[in-house]
Amino acid sequence: MSYFRSSQNEAHPNKTNTVMTGIILMLILLVSIQIWFLYSALNNALDDNFGIALATFGGSLALALVSFWLLRYLPDPRPAKSKPRK
Amino acid sequence: MAEKDKDPTWKSDFPIDQEEATHVSRREFAKFLGLFSGALALGNGAIVLKSLAFPDKELEGEHFICEENEVPVGGMKQFEIHGTKDIPYILIHLEEGEWRAFEQKCTHLACAVRYRHDLGQIECPCHQGFFDPRTGVVIQGPPPRPLPQLEVAVKEGKVYVKSMSKDKPYNV
Ligand code: FES
Repeated sequence: MSYFRSSQNEAHPNKTNTVMTGIILMLILLVSIQIWFLYSALNNALDDNFGIALATFGGSLALALVSFWLLRYLPDPRPAKSKPRK
Repeated sequence: MAEKDKDPTWKSDFPIDQEEATHVSRREFAKFLGLFSGALALGNGAIVLKSLAFPDKELEGEHFICEENEVPVGGMKQFEIHGTKDIPYILIHLEEGEWRAFEQKCTHLACAVRYRHDLGQIECPCHQGFFDPRTGVVIQGPPPRPLPQLEVAVKEGKVYVKSMSKDKPYNV
């Protein structure tokens, strides 16, 4: 069976590199949005704004799930070389 | 040529390929970001749980503060209502028969605010925040929200406060 992993492993190292950078950038973006959500939730919790707390929690959870799912696409580590060179 | 074939000694002391090292650490970094993302979602959930489990209680009933003649016009009195948590409040005598009561904690970083009759404003000395003494609305400075207000009633020379009725959040 062929799935993304096998073709990813066969891809040129440059592509792997790009995938890695892309994933990290996406994760940083998601985490930044989450920080923003958390900040607004904290700010509004002081003001009894329950709706904001709930909405940001939903959003934050969704973003967390997306970032977990993104981790699936991390390129495999290089197979360990036969160690050690003398 | 011969030099090129010979590995320098540090290679055997530190037998990790550069490629291998960077590759692994980026994976770990990405995984860490994933973990962090989960933690942020949990934190956000904690806020929701906290506001569900411990909703802020409204002040119940009327509370006697002081005699009317204790606070002159333009004066301010600090008081506390002993309940579940002691929040400091200020009572302001704006004009004859005009009273206001606010929480004393600035909505910016919780410094104590004070009424400045010469300016006709409530001042927060920490970062020069100013509030309208009638409504508690922010006039200037960093505070993000108006000061929470209590309703004041004067009966037979005695000053009482109770929580603001919902339909008129600001006393104008
Ligand atoms: S704490 Fe009041 S202005 Fe900053």
